Amino acid sequence: MLRALFLAFALFLSMSGVQAQTQSPTEDLQTVLQRHAAEVANPGRLSVGALIADLVASRQPNVASFLERWQDKGVYQRTTDGLFFYAIRQGDAYALTNMTTGESAGTAPADVMTEIRPNGGVRRVIGAALVQFQLSDPDRARRVAALDAISRSPDADQIDPLRASIEGEPDPALKLRKERLAGHLRARFGKSTEDRIGAINELSSALDVETRSVLNLVLTTTSGVAPSVPEGTNVARILKVGTDINEAVAYNRLVDANLAPAPIPPAAVKAALTANITDGRVGGIPVGQLGNETNRSDAYDALATAGTVPPQVTPAIRTAALSSNVFYDAYTEPNPAVTDAARAALDEVEARVARYQIIDISMDALSLASIYFLAAIGLAITFGVMGVINMAHGEFIMMGAYTGYVVQLFIPDYTISLLVALPLAFAVTFGAGVAMERLVIRHLYHRPLETLLATFGISIALQQLAKNIFGTQARPLTSPSWLDGAWVINDVVQIANIRIAIFVLALIFLALILFVLKRTRLGLEVRSVTQNPGMAASMGINPDRINMLTFGLGSGIAGIAGVAIGLYAKVTSEMGSDYIVQSFMTVVVGGVGNVWGTLAGASLIGFLQKGIEFFNPSNTLAAQTYMILFIILFIQFRPKGIVALKGRAAGD
Amino acid sequence: MTQGFLSKNPSVLWFLLVLGLFTLGVTVLSETAGVGLISTSFVKTLGKTLCLCLIAIAMDVVWGYCGILSLGHFAFFGIGGYAIGMWLMYARTEIIVIKSLNAAAIPPTPEEITDAVGQQIFGVVGSTDFPWLWAFSDSLFLQLLMVVLVPGLLALVFGWLAFRSRVTGVYLSILTQAMTLALALYLFQNDSGLRGNNGLSGLQNIPGFERTPQAVISLGFFWASALALALGYVLFAWVVSGKMGSVIRGIRDNESRVRFLGYHVETYKLFVFTLTAVISGIAGALYYPQAGIINPAEVAPIASIYLAVWVAIGGRGRLYGAVLGAAVVSLMSSWFTGGGAPNIPLGFYTIQWTDWWLVLLGFSFVAVTLFFPKGIGGLFDIIVRKGDQK
Amino acid sequence: MNTLLELSGVSVSFDGFRAINNLSFQIGEPELRAIIGPNGAGKTTFMDIITGKTRPDAGRVIFGEKSVSLLKMSESQIARSGIGRKFQKPTVFEAQTVRENLAMALSNPRGPFDVLIYRKTPTGAARIEEIADEIGLSDHLTRRSGELSHGQKQWLEIGMLLAQDPRLLLVDEPAAGMTPAEREHTTDLLKRAAQTRAVVVVEHDMEFVRRLDCKVTVLHEGSVLAEGSLDHVTKNKDVIDVYLGR
Repeated sequence: MLRALFLAFALFLSMSGVQAQTQSPTEDLQTVLQRHAAEVANPGRLSVGALIADLVASRQPNVASFLERWQDKGVYQRTTDGLFFYAIRQGDAYALTNMTTGESAGTAPADVMTEIRPNGGVRRVIGAALVQFQLSDPDRARRVAALDAISRSPDADQIDPLRASIEGEPDPALKLRKERLAGHLRARFGKSTEDRIGAINELSSALDVETRSVLNLVLTTTSGVAPSVPEGTNVARILKVGTDINEAVAYNRLVDANLAPAPIPPAAVKAALTANITDGRVGGIPVGQLGNETNRSDAYDALATAGTVPPQVTPAIRTAALSSNVFYDAYTEPNPAVTDAARAALDEVEARVARYQIIDISMDALSLASIYFLAAIGLAITFGVMGVINMAHGEFIMMGAYTGYVVQLFIPDYTISLLVALPLAFAVTFGAGVAMERLVIRHLYHRPLETLLATFGISIALQQLAKNIFGTQARPLTSPSWLDGAWVINDVVQIANIRIAIFVLALIFLALILFVLKRTRLGLEVRSVTQNPGMAASMGINPDRINMLTFGLGSGIAGIAGVAIGLYAKVTSEMGSDYIVQSFMTVVVGGVGNVWGTLAGASLIGFLQKGIEFFNPSNTLAAQTYMILFIILFIQFRPKGIVALKGRAAGD
Repeated sequence: MTQGFLSKNPSVLWFLLVLGLFTLGVTVLSETAGVGLISTSFVKTLGKTLCLCLIAIAMDVVWGYCGILSLGHFAFFGIGGYAIGMWLMYARTEIIVIKSLNAAAIPPTPEEITDAVGQQIFGVVGSTDFPWLWAFSDSLFLQLLMVVLVPGLLALVFGWLAFRSRVTGVYLSILTQAMTLALALYLFQNDSGLRGNNGLSGLQNIPGFERTPQAVISLGFFWASALALALGYVLFAWVVSGKMGSVIRGIRDNESRVRFLGYHVETYKLFVFTLTAVISGIAGALYYPQAGIINPAEVAPIASIYLAVWVAIGGRGRLYGAVLGAAVVSLMSSWFTGGGAPNIPLGFYTIQWTDWWLVLLGFSFVAVTLFFPKGIGGLFDIIVRKGDQK
Repeated sequence: MNTLLELSGVSVSFDGFRAINNLSFQIGEPELRAIIGPNGAGKTTFMDIITGKTRPDAGRVIFGEKSVSLLKMSESQIARSGIGRKFQKPTVFEAQTVRENLAMALSNPRGPFDVLIYRKTPTGAARIEEIADEIGLSDHLTRRSGELSHGQKQWLEIGMLLAQDPRLLLVDEPAAGMTPAEREHTTDLLKRAAQTRAVVVVEHDMEFVRRLDCKVTVLHEGSVLAEGSLDHVTKNKDVIDVYLGR
């Protein structure tokens, strides 16, 4: 082992020497091999070093592949002339390959070819040399492959070649990775305790999953039980029965460690009783009375006393066994200094990870909030301005998504189709909204509950229509490739581009809506109709027109939200109903008739949902349930939402 | 007292008469009576429809009379169904389990029975233990109590919270819808203790009546449903008549005026909300043994909205309107979606009602809201008024 | 005549706007009082505070011999303890008959179960007849109140207040939209009612106030500007400034 390390190190030196001289290669591979023919044909673990050093010094490009083949027993010697070939057996003959040129060298009968079989020790030496080659290979992909291989199956031999290759690494990213990997190897397999602790302390500044798993590996524990903790055990913790470990599990450990008799499970008791029925009785108790635990236990004890069956483990035996043994978790790593350092490092890393996770969740929450905002803002406008609850709002979202899907059928370029789909979706749903306002809602003003129901009727009809046209299966709305990736900040914090895009879209819409409402003539008219329709009408504003445009605008935004949602979720006829309740919640929680309120509502709901999901990640259904319950309670305390209008303007 | 009430409300007597004749007619024409014009499965459909009529009048009282558009009454209906379903499933599984355990040489212990029943019921959701929700599932009496208590208490707590903070109008509708959604999502979870989206099944098999043919059982439930509807109708007609009716209709039309008259409006709303929730629970408890299966989808918010649709189509603010709406729309629904309605070939396209029924329902509902706000019941007014003119 | 209702130092503001500003007010029993004031003087908010619809930010509102604070009571409790309110717009239950409207207002137990088992009593019926007679709607008891004329609705609402048997009646612009004959009837009604209880009438119409012939309180910007007989207040310089503008 040491020898191999030394060899690899020597190899590195020789190689950098060669590099320094920038000598052009003179000898081909075969020539070098022939010089060491005996060693090649029958390599020894201790003597092979010189050969490998020579091979490396030759700077032939195919040395690495020779070493691989050699290691894999793919190299043959032709007994007739002593030349080496790569050979593959074909029937009775071998197909030969010239190892210098890589070209076919004809075939040779089996009896003239000798397979070269390096033994295990030699193969390890070759492997170490190979790692050195691969780690310094001019081809970046091969270097990455070598690093991957080391990560997959790390061992102590790799430390030195890896460290040796760090300096010559031209790629900064790979260099970083090499350094990190070297740190991992040292932490696990370092030569001295000091070396390992040093490496472990360096790891505490990392964040990545691999580092965490390395530290965890160092901290691997096994559970143990013994009358007393054995000498020299690096104890992680002592487990108290009843609090740290439940009695049944603890007792099973005792049984597994042969420190206590195995308990007889109820099924076994039953089987034993069944097997020992004599004259309608078991252990003197009539079979008919065996319908309860006590009698069964008595009958079994009777059998046990007679020696027919092993005795039961009584609670007393059990308690005694449990109390006379110590249950503990022990580190597999025997050196407490190392485990202490690793524990400290891991704690530090995990604290940092937790901090970043909070950032990550906040970003997730932000993007969820953007989606809710997009889905709800249209609703908020119609509800706030017109006091109309549009139950078909979700179906407008769906309509927008299907518009995007249909556009993609005609325009194969996803970027262009997206650019076409957004305004088209707006136009389609704007039209649908205006039509609905003209045909239905106009006749139902001042009857909000009936509007709710009528729009619900439209909602079921639209949903079923979509089902009839597009079928029940989900349709894809593919995002352009530039939206596919993710913005990776570090190993913990990353966010998908599509979510960033939706966030930006939400911001754009927020700005746009604020602009329209606050800075344009339409906005002024909308606000005046909201506050006092009678007065607005007498000042020459046509409330009909305003209502129509407002409704169209709200619906149009729903269409655009539909395209955005369709990009990251599936387009189905039911997608609208998935968002409608959340949208209502957003509007109600935020406070009606206020863009900022909707923003606040969306943020609250987005952060809340992500927060609950964080604490209970396996169960999104439960998260939604809790969120809705929270909202119901929230409404109790702020019935008018976060941003509430006060006083007379609020009306009653 | 009740006699006086009935004599002042002849429409109640008319309703009871029609319902009685209908029940009798169905009985005579059923398979059990030997005529067989009405199949057992259709008797079940009719029985279920009567239960839907019961919840529809409850909805009518809370919405049509008291003005609270609750989008959560089907949740109470579902809770009633779950409550009775737990007993049905437990008791039936216990019978099967005991039968198979008795085949062994040694009689089973109570623990073995419970374990085996748990295994049978919760195996589908990867569990064998009984959740706390099932604490009373072995007792028919206690589960029947649950049918009434759980919807009642839920309505009481929810209503108290909502009404006391003066949540009204569409806000209240949305809030009740949120409650329903929360319940449905909870039930959809596998660890809810109610078998997740598998729901409870095999409810049509009534423990203790294993040897009774389904034809007889379904007729029994049909009668029970008719009786429940009759009692519910009388109860609600009594509640909405007289001064109580006056006050709750007052709340619908002008809540603050009623408040300034000295009535504690919240208490009245709570009373109506809770009472109707309890009746909805009872309706559900009668419905699901006839349906045979209950799952969380039944409780989804959409069901409660359909309930509002039936009442609106039937005609709000009159009890027989709600009955009419529920019966007509739900029966038509099963006729159309069950493939009973003939398809319409248009040459280039064939209208298949299984696909187009919901479109028709949606648009006709819009039409009813726009043009016939009084619903089918409003037609009676026209007929009665014409009669008066002659 | 002892004090029935006393407001002292009451203030309330909406979003920074002071609707009521350190208002103090007293009324005895029996008494008829008119409150006048320009738009935005806080007349409606004043009523809202007494009836519990609006909670003041500061001040005390005390009612009755026992000096109960109204601030902790709900609207319905306040109504039950003897304060009736008529709104500006006639608010009667249009879908119900005149008799049903009056029956609902009769001073009987208000709990749901009391109401559920309520049975008509001869005394109740007689009281309804009596009130109907008073407000001139005896012939209309079985009509739906939605079919009544505007003035009749106003009377019905006053009748409902009387049926409540309140000690304090708050009446908001009772004469709005009435014919002269109807006004006269309304004046009589209010004056008669004020013989046994306290009546506060908020009114714009000076002619109507003059006919009521009672003490007048002028509200301006949320506080009392002047108080006294109509002649007295109309001579007050501040009142003239407020009403005519400077």
